[in-house]
Amino acid sequence: MTNIYKDSPGRRQAKTVESLGPNTEIGRKLKQYYDDLVSEGVPDRFAQLLAKLEKAEIEPDKD
Amino acid sequence: MVVSQGFRSDLLGAIPSLRAFAISLCRNADRADDLVQETLVKAWDKQASFQPGTNLTAWLFTILRNEFYSQMRKRGREVQDTDGVMTARLAVPPAQHGQLDLDDFRTALQQLPQDQREAIILIGASGFSYEEAAEICGCAIGTIKSRVSRARARLQELLKMSDDDYFGPDAISTQVTSSAQE
Repeated sequence: MTNIYKDSPGRRQAKTVESLGPNTEIGRKLKQYYDDLVSEGVPDRFAQLLAKLEKAEIEPDKD
Repeated sequence: MVVSQGFRSDLLGAIPSLRAFAISLCRNADRADDLVQETLVKAWDKQASFQPGTNLTAWLFTILRNEFYSQMRKRGREVQDTDGVMTARLAVPPAQHGQLDLDDFRTALQQLPQDQREAIILIGASGFSYEEAAEICGCAIGTIKSRVSRARARLQELLKMSDDDYFGPDAISTQVTSSAQE
């Protein structure tokens, strides 16, 4: 409503728990920012790395 | 050892969120990917110490975060990139809609102190509870709470937002309140 209802630091602290959800601008932006990154998927180098690690484990004596 | 089959695909599945967290920490995509790589190698070596049934992502985030801070200590302040020079190299594909908005948000996020940024990411984006975030960061639940609170206040300040966008409780809050008794 008006500015006199603005949170004191103490109240803001207590309210933070509810304040990052999809109903808040910051909560939405956070998710949007993060989901953009997550949606990039898995670069090939990591799939290859895991395959290599697994291979090394299966054939430890090779070399 | 044949144990690794499931472990490998679990790791694979965790990589997208691991990368998102790494990029949020490093603010640099190349460095973030190196960090993810280190994390995967470490996790692989330590797989015997992972307890099946517990949260693999949280376990991996902990390893990644430890690795990040240990690299940071080795490299010194260089990692901090306070002037945002590396910002342009972030691996974020251009979106068509609301681009300006998200760019503003990203810039503001990058200006947060390291501890506040990781806290608000873990809670508000990665979807961890306060308890899990505290575990990942090796600190008290109350510390995470206050970091998130300060991060949020700072973001609002940077983005010149008011508190008026608050409409009511939601899924995250319920989940968080139940697991975060003080």
